[in-house]
Amino acid sequence: MADALTVLVTGAGGFVGAEVTARLTAAGHTVLALLHHRTGIVRNDGRRLRPAPGALTPLTGDITRPGLGLGRDDRRLARTADRIVHCAAVTDFGLPDERYDDVNVRGTRHVLGVALAGRTPLVHLSTAYVCGERDGTAYEDELDVGQTPGNGYERSKLTAETMVRKAAAEGLPVTVVRPSIVTGAARTGRVRDFKTVYPVLKVFTRGLVSTAPGHYDAVLDLVPVDRVAGLVTAACVRFDAAEGRTLHAAGHELTLRDFSDVLAEYPSFRVPRFVPPSAFSAAALPGRERSYYERVIAHYDTYFRRRVHFDDTHAAAFSPWRPGRGRAYLRRLLDHCLATGYLGTPPPKTPAARPAHGSPQ
Amino acid sequence: MILTEDQLRDLLDKSLAELPGTDRFAVVLEGSVAEGFGNPSSDIDFLLVGRGGEDLPTMPSLLFVDGRRVEVRTRSAGQLADQFARLEDRARRPGTLDEDLLNRCQRFLHSHPLRGRALADEVKALMPAERFRRIAADWWAHRARQSLRHAEALLCLGAGEEAVDWSRAALVQTVKAWAAGRGETYLEPKWLSLQLDRIGRADVRDRYWELQSAHPAPGDLDAARDHLSDCVGFATGLGLTGVRGGPGRITVRRAPGVTTWQTGGTTHVVRRRREVFALGDRSGAVWRSLVPGRSLPRAIAVAEDPGAPAPGPLLAAFWRYGLVRLAWKGGGTISASLPLAAPPGPVTPPPSRARPLLSIHGAAVGGPDAVELVPLPAERFAAAAMNLVWSNVVVENAIEDLTGALARGQWRVAELTARRAVHAALRGLFSAYGVHPLPADCDLVHRMDLLPRATGPIRTRARQLLRRTAGSAARGESLHADLCAFVALVRDATGSAGFPSCFDSADAWRATLELGYDWLRIGTHLDVELPIDEARDLLAGRGAQPYDGGARPYDGRPQPYDTAAQPPGDSQPHGATQPHHGG
Repeated sequence: MADALTVLVTGAGGFVGAEVTARLTAAGHTVLALLHHRTGIVRNDGRRLRPAPGALTPLTGDITRPGLGLGRDDRRLARTADRIVHCAAVTDFGLPDERYDDVNVRGTRHVLGVALAGRTPLVHLSTAYVCGERDGTAYEDELDVGQTPGNGYERSKLTAETMVRKAAAEGLPVTVVRPSIVTGAARTGRVRDFKTVYPVLKVFTRGLVSTAPGHYDAVLDLVPVDRVAGLVTAACVRFDAAEGRTLHAAGHELTLRDFSDVLAEYPSFRVPRFVPPSAFSAAALPGRERSYYERVIAHYDTYFRRRVHFDDTHAAAFSPWRPGRGRAYLRRLLDHCLATGYLGTPPPKTPAARPAHGSPQ
Repeated sequence: MILTEDQLRDLLDKSLAELPGTDRFAVVLEGSVAEGFGNPSSDIDFLLVGRGGEDLPTMPSLLFVDGRRVEVRTRSAGQLADQFARLEDRARRPGTLDEDLLNRCQRFLHSHPLRGRALADEVKALMPAERFRRIAADWWAHRARQSLRHAEALLCLGAGEEAVDWSRAALVQTVKAWAAGRGETYLEPKWLSLQLDRIGRADVRDRYWELQSAHPAPGDLDAARDHLSDCVGFATGLGLTGVRGGPGRITVRRAPGVTTWQTGGTTHVVRRRREVFALGDRSGAVWRSLVPGRSLPRAIAVAEDPGAPAPGPLLAAFWRYGLVRLAWKGGGTISASLPLAAPPGPVTPPPSRARPLLSIHGAAVGGPDAVELVPLPAERFAAAAMNLVWSNVVVENAIEDLTGALARGQWRVAELTARRAVHAALRGLFSAYGVHPLPADCDLVHRMDLLPRATGPIRTRARQLLRRTAGSAARGESLHADLCAFVALVRDATGSAGFPSCFDSADAWRATLELGYDWLRIGTHLDVELPIDEARDLLAGRGAQPYDGGARPYDGRPQPYDTAAQPPGDSQPHGATQPHHGG
């Protein structure tokens, strides 16, 4: 094994952060896990992470505060890190811009402050959707090409990554990993948090929204959480090989037609109809459907318009991965949702409370 | 044996005398007579075995010698060795082991040599008798297991009599498995009684016949359940595994290639992209209640609707038609089959006789419990339905154009648009009856002989309208009124009444789009060619308007305009919205 590292992981309790932490500790590295609260870390399979004694040190902090909100002792401890992996971010959709600025922009600025202070190599978790609303191929070495972000989340991640690149230009060793839409495990479809695309699937398959604006050839790229965590971990451990690179953690490209055809394989699922955005009017939807549209689907309909392909040449060369067949993966995700009861239950008689929305990352 | 050695040799000599060039072959007697069974009407089966690996023909020579039917087959030693190798290769998965292959191997291994014994023994040695017994026993056990699980599922679904029949089938298969393990490997079940007598276990034999001859009262599910329970007990007593646990071990699974599509109030289930089943209101609700992965008892409980008949028969129909699978926890898909009978697989019911076949809202169904096979291949069904919808859009467009032309006194334009409306309505009529591809417009009225006689009045009025002129305001108005009446008549006949007046308002256009999209989803799933380019745009277009300066891909690639998606009611001429060549 390579020399054991000490790695500061922000957002170590999050969907990706927990899996990165698990991989690092399993490989014999020491993780300083930055958490909001001193709660345990739960892995994607629902089990509590139980690393070897001494492999994990939880640090209670807050990235929105200078110095990551760490106390003096923890700050000293954080300075001993050989690497920083920055996973912390707010990923829900539909939040006020201030919230994204606070966590995703200011938080990244504070992480950069810590990294620059010790010139500590940084692995920054961004999103492939910094590409904004566009069609065609998005390349790993592109960043700001004048694109229009699809929502406040994308704007904040673009700003944060731009800051990271600026720090890199000033001499900070940096690697950026850009996952697409992070979803369940590749082999089992298992997922810890039903966020990102999951609420959308729930609303559609229950028939709560039957019509949405979109194009059947629009592409959603779903990447298994284990692929993302593996790539982030590899970038951290083999930093010399990854330094300076941006790696697309791209997964399975699925068109809306793929979604339509696969959802139709499940007798109880309703299959949404996508109509051209120009012919769509939310105001024309029946009351309850409009409510669900505005609360859930509207946050996602930017993704129903894009035909974007994420080139992952660098990521594939750095850490090869064969994604397999996209429709089969989608079936695994859906089967897991049915097995857990997340999907497959009859719709409620009245609109549910505001559901959690998920972002691509 | 029922024949002596001398009688057999005499039959052989007489048979081979009719088949020149057979001196070089070793000869064995196989089949029921060689097994020690048979009767005066049994066939005599000779197998000629050639040394070497040549590929000898499979077809037997049929002879009639001394009043007996004699079949003479030929196999080379190489072919027999290959049979054994294939048998061994597939033995690990008895469900995939071909019955004919097993039968061929068994017959040769249990054959009686009549000539060239050394060669026959040499080839037989390739498959030790003990090994073959195990393979045959596993093969029967697999079938017995499947049949008992099948019976369990049927019972759960309320099909008691069917369950009893499958329990009986399982009894035969169980005893054949048990007998095969004791050397009685002959496959044909009709000699089972003699096989059991030969084994000499009176307890097994007597219990088998007791269960086999039990007849639970029809409709008495409890009696059927007791019978099945006895059969399971008997089978497990003979060593059969994987059949205990009851219906809770059965889960509902998706069937590969089966998809569900809703149009209007009709649920359509497409099987393997080939056939379409249309479900009635209640069968559709039961179908929609199915959640893959749930246990069968739970699926039934969820599907139950107070006051309505039990959903079991509908679920059984879905299963029978291969629309869902049932699986045994830890045991894979339940797939029962009877040896020497039709291979397992979905049943296809006779096609629906409802006419017309479809409306804009879906395929015709005969009642709330219908699970009806649409009498069209799936692809033609979807294509016809899309044409039906599209023809209605064209009718609306043509009538609007007619109104405009009459207002301006453009009589010739009015006549042409009226004809276009008639042709479009007729295309809808043909489509509702499943005609696809459609005749050319000018042939439509002549090809109405393809349609039922009941459409005669439509043909008469279509002929009249196609000859009508609109040379004055009064004649124009009359033409307009008659055309509208004709359209109403056709729509009434094709289930298109209530089709949105798609060019009257944005809401109506939206309703039209939604209707069209429901069919387009099915059509594209089946890779059906869409009616016209505008329909294709609906699906693949980017939804942009010619005047729309909205978001564009930054890479600057040109995007097709989505002309068909333009809502009506704006100041643009209808050229952008017209689905056809009018205007």
